[in-house]
Amino acid sequence: MTTPSGRTDAVHTAGPLPSDEDIAAELLDFLAERTRTRWEPDQDLFAVGGMSSLFAMQLVVHLEQTHQIAISGADLMLDNFRTVEAMVRLVNKLRGSAPAPGSVGE
Amino acid sequence: MSETTAPAAPGPDREAEELFTELAGDRAGEWDRAGEIPRDVLRRLGARGLLCAQAPVVHGGLGYTSRRNGELTAHVGSLCSSLRSVMTSQGMAAWTLRRLGDAGQQADLVPRLTGGELAAVAFTEAEAGSDLSALATRLTRSGDEVVVDGAKVWTTNAAYADLLVVFGRTEDGVGAVVVPASAPGVRIERITDAHGCRAAGHADIRLDGVRVPADALLRGVDRSSALLVTTALSYGRMSVAWGCVGILRGCLTAAVRHAVGRKQFGTRLADHQLVARHLAELLIAEQNAARACEHASDLWDRGSPDLVTAVVLAKHVAATGAAAGSARAMQVLASAGAHDGHVVARAHRDAKLMEIIEGSSEICELILAQHAVATA
Repeated sequence: MTTPSGRTDAVHTAGPLPSDEDIAAELLDFLAERTRTRWEPDQDLFAVGGMSSLFAMQLVVHLEQTHQIAISGADLMLDNFRTVEAMVRLVNKLRGSAPAPGSVGE
Repeated sequence: MSETTAPAAPGPDREAEELFTELAGDRAGEWDRAGEIPRDVLRRLGARGLLCAQAPVVHGGLGYTSRRNGELTAHVGSLCSSLRSVMTSQGMAAWTLRRLGDAGQQADLVPRLTGGELAAVAFTEAEAGSDLSALATRLTRSGDEVVVDGAKVWTTNAAYADLLVVFGRTEDGVGAVVVPASAPGVRIERITDAHGCRAAGHADIRLDGVRVPADALLRGVDRSSALLVTTALSYGRMSVAWGCVGILRGCLTAAVRHAVGRKQFGTRLADHQLVARHLAELLIAEQNAARACEHASDLWDRGSPDLVTAVVLAKHVAATGAAAGSARAMQVLASAGAHDGHVVARAHRDAKLMEIIEGSSEICELILAQHAVATA
């Protein structure tokens, strides 16, 4: 599939589940494209001078679409999107389970 | 996302539009003057899932895409912004349950909304409007219960609601709890002098020591209100935006009909150049708002992260367009439209409120400016 920005969504179509490195690399690219800034995997995106809560929601939608997961309930907290490392952990936790019906950005 | 969308049903739902026209078309003025929509109308629409048509099929919903739900919302908005506001609240409640609830809570609660129970989402407090980090309502764990204490203001649909989704402060941060409107300690005080959307069931809510089971607290609890509120409001903003497209369509139709049907100085109003300009500006506003809404809804349906700012932009374009456009329509209809209950008089009052709720025009502009700066 193709993401809205036109990139080929390699993470989702590669067949076997992507490694932590793949997930992190895709996220770092996404962040760089969106913010015109390179981020470190452990860097706090929402620290002073960082991203807004609207950007956090963009990350929610991006992760859901890229990894076909649903992020809701107790997982919908800012700390899960604070760093690339935290997002990799969240994806690993959620992608084992089928997406909750209709939860994703629909 | 497509997996719960009704198959091969992407176009507007003409049957549902006809039902809304049949129920509201001739009565919206009367509802506006009375400040109330008959409950049986709301129950009937609610039980068909039409007040929150994006709720997934698996929860008894219609599984509409954002685009299809938006077109329906615009249709209702062209008839009656009070009824459209009820839809916005019901839809936002269903969306909030799906986002903040875990799978079990979603399965328990969303079907109640698609089955006809009515729900309101209570954010605003006297001291917490645009700044929802200032919420003071307390959600306190007490054994296997949660105790709710606080006061909410200007909650749309609260006067009709069976369920209230109440945002407040827990020991751990900010969250939302589902409170039956009939629970002891809940007092709903209807606002009887609303400037606009007079029949939308606006009410202030007092919650004094209201006890609900612990499971009524939605699992989504965060240290800050930002992400939870942004998520919940996105649905409301999209719905308000489409509702404003409807306001503009209602105004455009009424203004053109009047301008073509009435002569002054021996010439149709539509041929007076200064009047013609009002008609052009109304058309431009309607088209601008419709395109912005279609774009945002299509991003929503594709699961694009760009939906987040597109929704804010659509809300802003549509609400400011509707406020300015309804003023133009008033000017064209003049005394013919200057009666409470008239579609244009209602639009003029209702549209102004749309510049205030779900993120004021100023807050929308701040968000869009932040986006511009962050992505420059």
